[in-house]
Parts: sequence; C-alpha cells; structure tokens
Amino acid sequence: MIRNNDNISPYQLSMILIMAVIGVGVFNFVQIAAKYGGNDAWIIMLAMGAVHILLAFLLIKLNCRFPGKTFPEYIQQIIGVIPGKILVFLISSYIMLNLAYEVREFTEVAKMFLLPRTPTEILMFALILVCVYVVRGGVESVARLAEITFPILFIPFFLVLLPGFTSLDLTNLLPVGSEIGTKLTRMVPHAPHAFRGIEYILFYIGFMERPQKAYKPVAWGLVFVTGFYTLVSIIVLSAFGAKSATKSIWPLLIYIRNINIPGLFIERLDGIILSLWVVTVFTTIITGFFIVTYSFSKIFNTKEQKQFALPLMIILYYLALQAAGLAELYQWGDWIFKYVSSIFIYVVPVFALVIAALRRLGVKKSEDF
Amino acid sequence: MGLFTRRKMAEKTKDESYKVQSTTSLDENLEKIKLMLTDCEDIIYKEFRVGVEQDLRFTLIFTDGLVDKPFINDSILADLMYHAREISPDAPELKDELYKLVRYGSIPSPELKEIRNLDDAILAILTGDTVMLIDGTANIIVIGTKGWPARGVSEPSTEAVIRGPREGFTETYRFNSALVRRRIRDPRLKLKQMQIGRRSFTDIGMMYIEDIAKPELVKEVKRRLATIDIDAILDSGYIEELIEDNPFSLFPQIKATERPDKVAAALYQGKVAILIDNTPFALIVPATFNAFFHAAEDHYIRWIPATVLRLMRFIAGTLSLIMPALYIAVTSYHPGILPTELVLSIAAAREGVPFPAVIEALILELTFELLREAGVRLPTLIGGVVGIVGGLVIGQAAVEAGIVSPIMVIIVAVTAISSFSIPDYSFSNAFRLFRFLLIFAAGFLGLYGMILGLLLMIGHLVRLKSFGTPYLSPFVSFTASDLKDTFVRLPIFMMKNRPLGIAKDKIRMVNNRGEIKQTKDGYNNGEGADKNDKK
Repeated sequence: MIRNNDNISPYQLSMILIMAVIGVGVFNFVQIAAKYGGNDAWIIMLAMGAVHILLAFLLIKLNCRFPGKTFPEYIQQIIGVIPGKILVFLISSYIMLNLAYEVREFTEVAKMFLLPRTPTEILMFALILVCVYVVRGGVESVARLAEITFPILFIPFFLVLLPGFTSLDLTNLLPVGSEIGTKLTRMVPHAPHAFRGIEYILFYIGFMERPQKAYKPVAWGLVFVTGFYTLVSIIVLSAFGAKSATKSIWPLLIYIRNINIPGLFIERLDGIILSLWVVTVFTTIITGFFIVTYSFSKIFNTKEQKQFALPLMIILYYLALQAAGLAELYQWGDWIFKYVSSIFIYVVPVFALVIAALRRLGVKKSEDF
Repeated sequence: MGLFTRRKMAEKTKDESYKVQSTTSLDENLEKIKLMLTDCEDIIYKEFRVGVEQDLRFTLIFTDGLVDKPFINDSILADLMYHAREISPDAPELKDELYKLVRYGSIPSPELKEIRNLDDAILAILTGDTVMLIDGTANIIVIGTKGWPARGVSEPSTEAVIRGPREGFTETYRFNSALVRRRIRDPRLKLKQMQIGRRSFTDIGMMYIEDIAKPELVKEVKRRLATIDIDAILDSGYIEELIEDNPFSLFPQIKATERPDKVAAALYQGKVAILIDNTPFALIVPATFNAFFHAAEDHYIRWIPATVLRLMRFIAGTLSLIMPALYIAVTSYHPGILPTELVLSIAAAREGVPFPAVIEALILELTFELLREAGVRLPTLIGGVVGIVGGLVIGQAAVEAGIVSPIMVIIVAVTAISSFSIPDYSFSNAFRLFRFLLIFAAGFLGLYGMILGLLLMIGHLVRLKSFGTPYLSPFVSFTASDLKDTFVRLPIFMMKNRPLGIAKDKIRMVNNRGEIKQTKDGYNNGEGADKNDKK
C-alpha cells in the first residue's frame, strides 16, 4: 500500500513560507510602514528582511538538533512533557488568534470592495469551511497547495502592477535615509506585523527528510517576501508620497484601483486583485490551521490531525467574530503583534535553542550547512 | 448471506483441493462434466473411436460458437480418425502409451496443455478451448481452439487523430496485447495475466516495462488487482472503480484509452497498463491532471503547433469551467469591473428577462446538457434533428420569448464548445459538474464565491493521488524538467529524460540531434552515425 509519506521537499518548504507570511497584511502594512518609516519605509523593509533571515536560520538550527521530529515533539523533550504541551497549546492559541485576525481582516476588505451587502458571517464561514477541507488532507496537501497557488497568485499580480508604473514618481522617495536610526527603532515593534508566519517553519521543517537542507529554501523564501514587501512599499510610497500613503487604510488597493489600461475590457482591477487575494488568505489560513490541528494531535497524542479540524474551525469562527468592527480589529491587531507575536516568534525559539544547547539534547553538530 | 459465510465461500473456491479430480474412466469423467454442464445446450460432445478395432475411445468437448470448427476438423478429428488407421493395430506404443502418442504426436495444434481436474476442464471449455478426454488416462488435454466472431482492428472512434496510427483496441484481449507488443519489441516488456471475476473469469493483463516502471508501482497495481473479488468484470470501468484511489472524487484517477500507441507511450514513460478482455479500453496508471489534457497527436505533429494547440486546450478547459460563473459574478455583483458601455449593453440585452442571471444560466446550461445527452443516446439520424431542434427552437425562441438574454446564449455556447476541447470524456465530465458548482457559488457570493469554489476544486486536487503520484504533478512536487511536456510540448530532442516523477530509468535519449548537421559540401553522409558505431 502506497501511503502518504508525510514528507515535504525543500521547494515546498519555501513555498509554504512565502504563502504563510504574505497574507492580507500586505494591504495594510504599507500604511503602518509609511507611518513610522516615512519615505524610507522600503529601506526598513530590506533591513527587517535581512534580520528575519538570520532569525529563520536560528529556527532551522533548532530543528537540526532534532532531525525527523517536529516542534511539538521535541519541545516536550527540551522542557519536559507537561510544560512542553502547555507551551504548544499556547502557541497554537496564538496562531488561532492570528488566523482569526487574518480571516476577519480579509472578510472586512472583501466586504468593502466586493460584496458590500453580504453579511460578514457568511463570507467568513464559507472561507473557513473550504480551508478545513484542505487541512484534513494532511501536511502533503498543504505543501502541494502552497506550491500550486504560488504561480496562480503572483504571476497575475505582477502583471497587474506593471501598467501602473507610469503613475509612479520616484522623487517621492527622496531624501533617502534621513534619520534612518530613529525610524528603524520606531518600526521594530511592528516587525511581526509583516513577518508573522515565519514561526510556522519551526513546525514544517520537521516534515523534511533532512532539515539541514532547509537553509537555502528558507533564505530564498524570505528573500522573495522581503523583495515583495520592498517593491510594494516603493510603489505605494512613490505613487502617493509618505504623507498620503498613511491616510488610507489600504493604500495598495487604492493604487490598483487607479490603474487604467486603455483598451482592456476590464475597467477596475481592484476587484480582480481582491478576488485573487482570497488565494493568499486561504493559504495563510491553511498553513497556520494545519499547525494548530497538528499541535493538538501532539498534545492529545493522537495519530491523525484530521479530527481536530472541524471543532477548531468553530472556535476560529467564533474568535473571528469577536471584534466589533475594523477599528477594533486593528486595535487588537496592534496589541497582539506588538507583544504576543514577539514572544512566540523571537523569544520562545531562542530560549528553546539555548535550553537544548545547555542540556545537550539532540544532535549537536549538523553534518552539513 | 452473512460476512462469515461469504469468507468461507471465498476460501473454499480458492482452495485447489476442492476441485474435482479426474479419473481414468472416460465414462465417469464425462458423466461428471455433463452433470456440471446440465442444460448448457451450447456445449458439444463429440465422442469418437480410433483404431482398427475401434476400441480406443475419445471425447471432445467444446462450446459451439466460441471455437474455430474448421481447425477442430482438420487438426484434431482428421488426424486422429484417419491417420490413426494407418498405424498397425499391434503397434506397442498404441496400446501402452496411447496418451503420450496423442499428446506429443498426433495433434498439430500450437497450443496444448494437460490438466488433471474437471473444474479447469470446464473453465477451458467455456473459454473457447477444446477438451479431449481419453479413456484409460486421467490426464485431460486442452487444445487451444479459441475462435469466435470478433470485431477487427479499426479506428478508435473516441480518440481520432489526423496524423498518427489509426489502430484501436478491440474487444478481444489477445489482439490488444499483440497491438501493444508490436510497439515494444523489448523482452523487458512484461505481461502478467490473471483472471478476475468468480463467474466471468475475465482475462486481465498487466503490462509494464520492467526496468522503467518503478517496482513499488508495479507491486501496488498487482496488489490492488488481486484484492478484487467480484462475480463479473464487464468493462474497464469496473476495474477502474475497484482500484482507484478515491472513488468518491469527480476526477478520474486512471486513464482509459482505446489507442495502443498511447498505451505504448505510457509504458515507455514507466506507467503500468491494464488490458481487459471484452472491452476496447485499456487502463493506464498513474494518471495525472496534466495527462488528461494531452491528445495522442501532440507528439506526432510538429512541436510548435502542438504547443499552441495544447495551450489552447488548457485555456479552453479553464473557460469551460469558469465562463458562466464569471459572467454571473460580474454582471450581478461587480458590474463596476467592466467599462460602462459594456455594462450598459449587457443591461440592455437583459432587459425584460424575468430571472436573475443564475437562474438564466442554469436554464440554458441544463438545456444544453439535456441536448447533449439526447444526442449521445439517440441514433445518428435522429441525433441531427435534436441538434436542429435544440439550436433553433431553444436558442432563438427562448431569446425572442424573453426568457434568456442573447449574451447568455453566447456564453453557454462558448462554454460548450470549449468543453469539447478536453480530450478525455470522463475528465470533461468532472469539469461539467464543477461548472455547476461554480455557477451556484458565483450566484451566491459573486467573484468571492467563484474563487472559493475554484479553491475547493484545487484543494480537492492537491489531496488526490493516483497510485502514489500526486494528481497535480508535475505542477506540484515540482521538478522543472518535467514541465517540458505540460502546457507546452517541447521538441522531442529536448526531452532527453523520462518524467522524473514516474520513471525509474530516466534516460530516454543518448545522442544529440546536432549530429545531423549540414557540412559545407552538402550533407555529412551519415558520419554522425559512424561515430556512434565506433563508440
């Protein structure tokens, strides 16, 4: 019997990373970056990308100590079974919050631009339901989904961005690099806003045959993400200037709305892009949601993760409904990403690595870099 | 019948010792066979005596209609009845070794075997072979005399080509295996035969090229075929449903084809083919999404047109899937996407139509599906009439009556034409049904719903596997070199490897096309070939 081997390839890992990190946040994040970074937001993006690549290497290093094991499995080895389970539960709860935020934010955007009269509940429920179906397929399905949606999403997206370049005014980016230090420090707490999702690789590397091979795909994935963010910031900043970019919530969508291609029988492209953007939200949710179901299967020591998908879906739906409106949602988002995310993205993995090193657990030296 | 008795029955029939053994007495054997074949009035028993004293008794048993009667006359009866008389009655070998003489000496038939039990004898009779009982020996001779009226090799009707071989499989298993063998003269092409079906005993053949196909795949196909335990196999569809990975999926995970060249091509790629008696369709596993969009001809015509046609096919496939849904979504939810003039002209065309776009689309789509179904089932002569009635009455009259808008008729017509460009029938059925799902989704949630519907489909496709191969490969489990034969069809000399995902032995081509270069003073007169020989 040919069974699912539950393995993912290095290429699939980088696709998962890209699809997990790039989510609906792109629309909103440029505004935050412009608020704190002014016209140098794109430089800040580059810098943050570089830092996160280094951080990702730490995560891989941690994984390399425990080849063939995933985070929920080896964390129980590092800090003990019960504390490990509690930590895994906390992380999954955080990811659930993260996903709920993502779902809600996207349905709000979709509601505003696509379906103004449809109730949010229905939009959310339909989206989550489809996600559950894929998550039940296991890690291989998730990986393949990330692989197949990558070209479907980004090829049309870049094609749409191109014709708008005529309206760009690069002088808006000048002067380059003034007061870059203060801008950076002001921006640092908001970094998880753009790069949340990076912690997912902590779980996914465990599914690789050789975790040592993760360095290259992860680096490439993050280079792509950073490049994408930088490009988007440059476009938005040079199209609107730093000041007006902060005024709208989703400056990128406004930019796309203003693109006009003479002769094309589609007049407004924002609808098209937004419907494409369902795909990225979809993959972001799936990559995260799989981790949650998988973690639960490890907490309760079950063989499969399938059975957790449906009950957890209801919780996700409930969480996503909590915010009263977009304003409250963004307030919560700020709080979550400033404090909670930082703990789980930066502090927990580093501590796990340190403790593992101190207790001399796992394989000490990885054979090849 | 309970599960327990079923198990018991299964074990009983598998066990060799339950078979009825033959005895040395011809009468006894004959009686037993006749008892088992009571009321089978198409069975012919030919009793005859041989020898000067007419004391050597023989009986031939065969099924009327399944055998080649002239062959029985000329090669069995004639030889035994006439020629035997030329031997002197006292010849010792006649008395002592009658059986051996008959078995090895007197029947000029290429196919002979001996068995010792009556169950196998009956199976042989019902298969079209002739069974010979000889008095005095328990050995039964089975003579291969299969010869029933069979349809000859003709052009496959479902997979016609303009350029390429015109041979198609027939209903006779043996012809089919020969058609494949003719294309692969390689001792490593294996044909494993088995009989499936407790009552039908249908011949099933599994073909693969030993050093190209992955052993896991071969083993897995064998295992799945061995698990089949059913009374009868009437068509390849039975086998397909019984061994495919996910029988609840809309998408076929096994490719059925009528073309021996397609089977040969698949075997050369490292796939496994299953031939089934009584059907002109062979099965190919594993089958992927990509393979269902390929026509046999793609590799026979020049590569640039082949690529263009293939791209067109993929685009048409996508159109047939999303076109009505897209129209509904855009016109009823997001008219802002379209330029104002277009919106106005659509609105003008829809004026007076009492239904929302979804209902309109459903009415027309269902009508079209009905017409199509009617056209398939009806005899060709009446089928044409259905086309006229459908096209004229339903198209023209429905628009004039104001039930549907002319634009919707155009949309549905384009969708229909596009859907015919998918080469595989059972695959296009999957798209047909998904089209309806998307229509509902778009009617319910606009573009958002349509994309969710598509994501559901993609989500389903990524979960699917066909015999261990991801259904969407090579787009997933990504290997760049396998993309040469997907949306595009690169020239054959650039595809030096077999598909990496499937084949075990990857090298397909060794030398370069560059060796046919033209030299200054004309052609290089096969110097390249010489060089090759020296190597």
